[in-house]
Amino acid sequence: MTSTTATAPPPALMRLSPDNWKLAILVGLIVSVIAAIALPASASFWIIGAMAAMIGAAFVVNAYRRKYYGGLLVAPAIAVLFVMNIFPLLWSLGLSFYAYQSNQQSIRFVGLANYIKVLTNDIAAPANWAALVNTAMFVVLTVTAQMIVGFLLAMMFAKQFPLRKYLLILVLTPMMLSVVASGVFFTYYYDPTFGILSYVVNAITGGQFILMSSKVGAVAGIVFADAWMWSPFVMLLVLAGLVSVPKYLYEAAAIDRVSKWRQFWTITFPYIRGLLMLALLFRTIEAFKLADLVILLTKGGNDTMTISYHLIRIANEQNKTSEGAAISYLMLFMVIVLTNLYLYIANRRSQGA
Amino acid sequence: MTVVTKMKGFAAAAGLAATLMTGGATYALAEEVTLTMAVPDWPPTRIMKKFFDEQYKPKSGNTVKLDVDFIPWPDFYTRVNASLTSGEQKYNFIVSDSQWLGAFVEGGYYRKINDLLDADPEFKKTLMSVHPAPLAAYSTYPYKSENYYGFPQFPDVLVNYGRKDILCHEEEQKNFQAKYGKKLPCTGEELDAMTWDDFKNVGEFFRRKKGEMLAGAPAEDDFYGIAFQAGKGYDFSSMQINGFIWQMGGNVWDETQAPTGQAEGVVNSPEAVAALEKYLSLLEYMPPVAKTGTMDIFKSDELFREGKVAMNIDWIGLGEASLDPKSSKVSDKLVFGQMPGTMGPDGKMIRWSNIGGQPFVLTTWTTPEQTTEAVEFVKWWLSNDIQHQFAAGGGQSAVKEVYEDPKYVTYRPWNRAWAPQLDWQKDVWHVPQFFELLTQQQDQFDLAITGKQDAKTTLDNIAKFQQDLLTNAGLIQ
Amino acid sequence: MAEHNSIWEALGFRKASGVGEAGWGRTLFVAIVSLIYFLPVLFIIFTAFKPQDAALSVPPTLSPTSFFGLIPDKYVFTPTIENFGSVFNRSMTSGGAPESTGFDRYFFNSIVIASSSVLLALVIGTLAAFGFSRYPLKGNDTYLFIILTTRMLPAIVVIIPVILMFRVVGLSGSYTGIILLYTAFNLAFTIWMMKSFFDELSLDVEDAARIDGSSDMKVFFKIALPQVVAGLAATFVFGLILTWNEFLFALLLSGPDTRTVPVAMNQAVSSGGRGTDWTLLAAIETLFLIPVFLVTFFLQNHLLRGVTFGTVKR
Repeated sequence: MTSTTATAPPPALMRLSPDNWKLAILVGLIVSVIAAIALPASASFWIIGAMAAMIGAAFVVNAYRRKYYGGLLVAPAIAVLFVMNIFPLLWSLGLSFYAYQSNQQSIRFVGLANYIKVLTNDIAAPANWAALVNTAMFVVLTVTAQMIVGFLLAMMFAKQFPLRKYLLILVLTPMMLSVVASGVFFTYYYDPTFGILSYVVNAITGGQFILMSSKVGAVAGIVFADAWMWSPFVMLLVLAGLVSVPKYLYEAAAIDRVSKWRQFWTITFPYIRGLLMLALLFRTIEAFKLADLVILLTKGGNDTMTISYHLIRIANEQNKTSEGAAISYLMLFMVIVLTNLYLYIANRRSQGA
Repeated sequence: MTVVTKMKGFAAAAGLAATLMTGGATYALAEEVTLTMAVPDWPPTRIMKKFFDEQYKPKSGNTVKLDVDFIPWPDFYTRVNASLTSGEQKYNFIVSDSQWLGAFVEGGYYRKINDLLDADPEFKKTLMSVHPAPLAAYSTYPYKSENYYGFPQFPDVLVNYGRKDILCHEEEQKNFQAKYGKKLPCTGEELDAMTWDDFKNVGEFFRRKKGEMLAGAPAEDDFYGIAFQAGKGYDFSSMQINGFIWQMGGNVWDETQAPTGQAEGVVNSPEAVAALEKYLSLLEYMPPVAKTGTMDIFKSDELFREGKVAMNIDWIGLGEASLDPKSSKVSDKLVFGQMPGTMGPDGKMIRWSNIGGQPFVLTTWTTPEQTTEAVEFVKWWLSNDIQHQFAAGGGQSAVKEVYEDPKYVTYRPWNRAWAPQLDWQKDVWHVPQFFELLTQQQDQFDLAITGKQDAKTTLDNIAKFQQDLLTNAGLIQ
Repeated sequence: MAEHNSIWEALGFRKASGVGEAGWGRTLFVAIVSLIYFLPVLFIIFTAFKPQDAALSVPPTLSPTSFFGLIPDKYVFTPTIENFGSVFNRSMTSGGAPESTGFDRYFFNSIVIASSSVLLALVIGTLAAFGFSRYPLKGNDTYLFIILTTRMLPAIVVIIPVILMFRVVGLSGSYTGIILLYTAFNLAFTIWMMKSFFDELSLDVEDAARIDGSSDMKVFFKIALPQVVAGLAATFVFGLILTWNEFLFALLLSGPDTRTVPVAMNQAVSSGGRGTDWTLLAAIETLFLIPVFLVTFFLQNHLLRGVTFGTVKR
């Protein structure tokens, strides 16, 4: 690995050189503090930004001179992510320790009070817990459905056959729809007066079928719509893995008369394992954020409130910014634990294999 | 350090330039003033913009531009709320639901206009020409106080949409008379005279399965007598239920009585429970979607336009679509009346109803130059001529001289119900906690609507929640 | 195998290399499954061609033609293309003259914003993925995980700081702001996905090239990159789809001039003082589907060609 091929010793603190990142940090900090104190926010913002860029540049030059290619390649991505994502994340993390409502001018430090409130307050907490339980249910149901359907679809398309690409695009289309449009149309499909589902069921049973009038029906309706939209995502990832399996491996296996089942586990699976994991990871993360379909289909009725929708109500409709931030960081903590668990299991498997 | 000096130099230069520009402007004869406005995207606001572009001539001689941001209705609150609370300071005018007043006044975003009213008697006269009920609802915070904020954009009330072809059918008339010993309401006046019991009878009477006879022909699909809002979203059940509660002698938490007015004992009073029970008892005669908690104002309107129900209580704001043959299968079969009422002990009809519609307000960062032009614009907007044009183009007017004009009822078929309903309009809370109160109440009402909880428990839960919340907020002592 | 560039080949009738080959029997089976899967989309597309009064008819109309009497008349509607015109030009007031709805602009915005941000994310993200894969830093996994966490929080939580930041910097309502934001929004996925592709590659080839004197740059462009074309295609497709349909950031950070279609689409969900205008919504969605559908379709070739491990097969 070339990352260890550092040659020159790091420069001394006070030497003026474009790769002296220690000096850059020192100067940047001093200038930023002065700017923040002396200048109005709109001007100091730019200066602090320029200082951050200078420090970044010093790191880059330093990395380049010492052939830290890893750092060099990663730098632009980190920079964009920091400005657009991590900085706002830290900002809202900070807010979660204050009593702050975005439609009021006052702000006050309260420590962990928001976290305690959302976990134990006898008015706020039950709604949070109920929403969390529902979210867990939706995560399990939607992700399982997507993984199974997506995997089966991918196996279906794994071989080359006539007209394959024309059929594949049909299956990929649901994912390309805007959630607003597909969600609104699902309300139509499920509608007891106009909808297709009730029309078909009524024609068979002669009764009056109302899918969304019970919790089971409402959950089934949401899970079906979500799984329908996002199974193609899993399929495409798995398929990308399947087609990257070199054909000669199968040819060799065929010569050795290895059974199909063993072929799958020993040849195919290692190629798709990483991508399956990725699909599982990203779908789980997205499933935790499930809100738009719920809003469109049930408005959280029939006990289908999810934590993300609950959060939208708290943080946006009611402007309880700090409380919303606290809920979302608790949620983040849970997602982190879960994803780490995934990654841990995946890594152990791959080392064991 | 050179960076800092350069920046400072630049800032100084920019400041100098700005001073020169503003200083220079005072000597100019005609200024260009742009008023930015956030509005929901629908005909009443489109018409406003159109009238402005075509007809508005500012008296000051300035060039005034109205820069309107049309935001789709479903996201209007989200967009406006984010713009206001983030301090974006982007809009001078905002169309606002009356209930948002408290939250955004307390946040320091909506501008109080009492000083403008005092400074300009003509402006005051114009605003005071609005009927007092909508004026209090659209303009005052605290509700019914002397602090004014908004001007009516599209005032709205609930009315009864009816199907003439079904209701006036001879066969149906005869059968209804035989069954209930009363005439089946068919004309506008007969609709006006309906109580909720009559409304229930219509619902019960017109429940027809596919293939059963309806107005002389077999029904093509299941048919229902009545519909009104019973949805979980936004305020799509509270606006109807409040009317029931007020009509039957109950009350919601009354902010004009704060801080001595209570929630517990008032919100869940026996009268209120009876009113909610009455509301719930009507749901069984409504289309099946009522059982899912998603029958909002749009769904019941859609069912009506598609010819699935005989009567629907809905906002006037949705009326244009039912008149348009492109979007309505019943466009030539309509009759309109006031929302049903409750017969009082003295034999007089009680018609309390929750007001709808929206005012528009000024924001606090609007500059004095902009404010001057804005006041002129509002005076122009509320002038009789423009209000008449607005009403003729599908809007509504709460300006007394306009709606009392005999011409007014000829503009739209529902206008005959407009003036008598205005006297009976009340509004819910204007307090900053509005959204919390509403969300919890809608959730509870939804449980009752979908049959998971009875009326008493529902109102007890609401009362307890409101009592706690409002006590913490210092609005109940 | 001899190269035949016949029309049959272009249509997919070829026995190209792949994981395996199957015949028309598989086609028939897959066609049935795919069509069923596609039905809800097909219904939306058909709705776009329905006259307004047929949109909610009971029973639902299912087909623009009766297929020579195969489908009963009550399920058949008379197609019209009027709705597509309404997307761009229609009366916005009651009884008023048709006027521009601004959708030409919204479509343009969506195309510019989505394509530039996805491409930007692909360039930056692929470099980073290669870095993470080939030159692991100290605490490599931690960095990767932190990048992943940027996708874990609901957007609503970070939106207020972002709006504030944009206002201070003057990016509010501009193309630059929303493009940069979407770039960041796509990076986590791009990096993780591309890293998993780079990880699957055999290092022997790259090491051998280095020993032969190839520069690191050459190794990346000439050896690593060509092997992950399928990955690039898939990542681009996913990024495009997610960005194309993103709603909340677009709602809150775009101005009237930079508004994208998903935001404007709600015009049809609550349109002209009533609820959903089904045919209009379907027409907008159908038009909006076309660009992303075409891109996916053409990149699909790349995606499905399979990765040719140059050194082994060539």
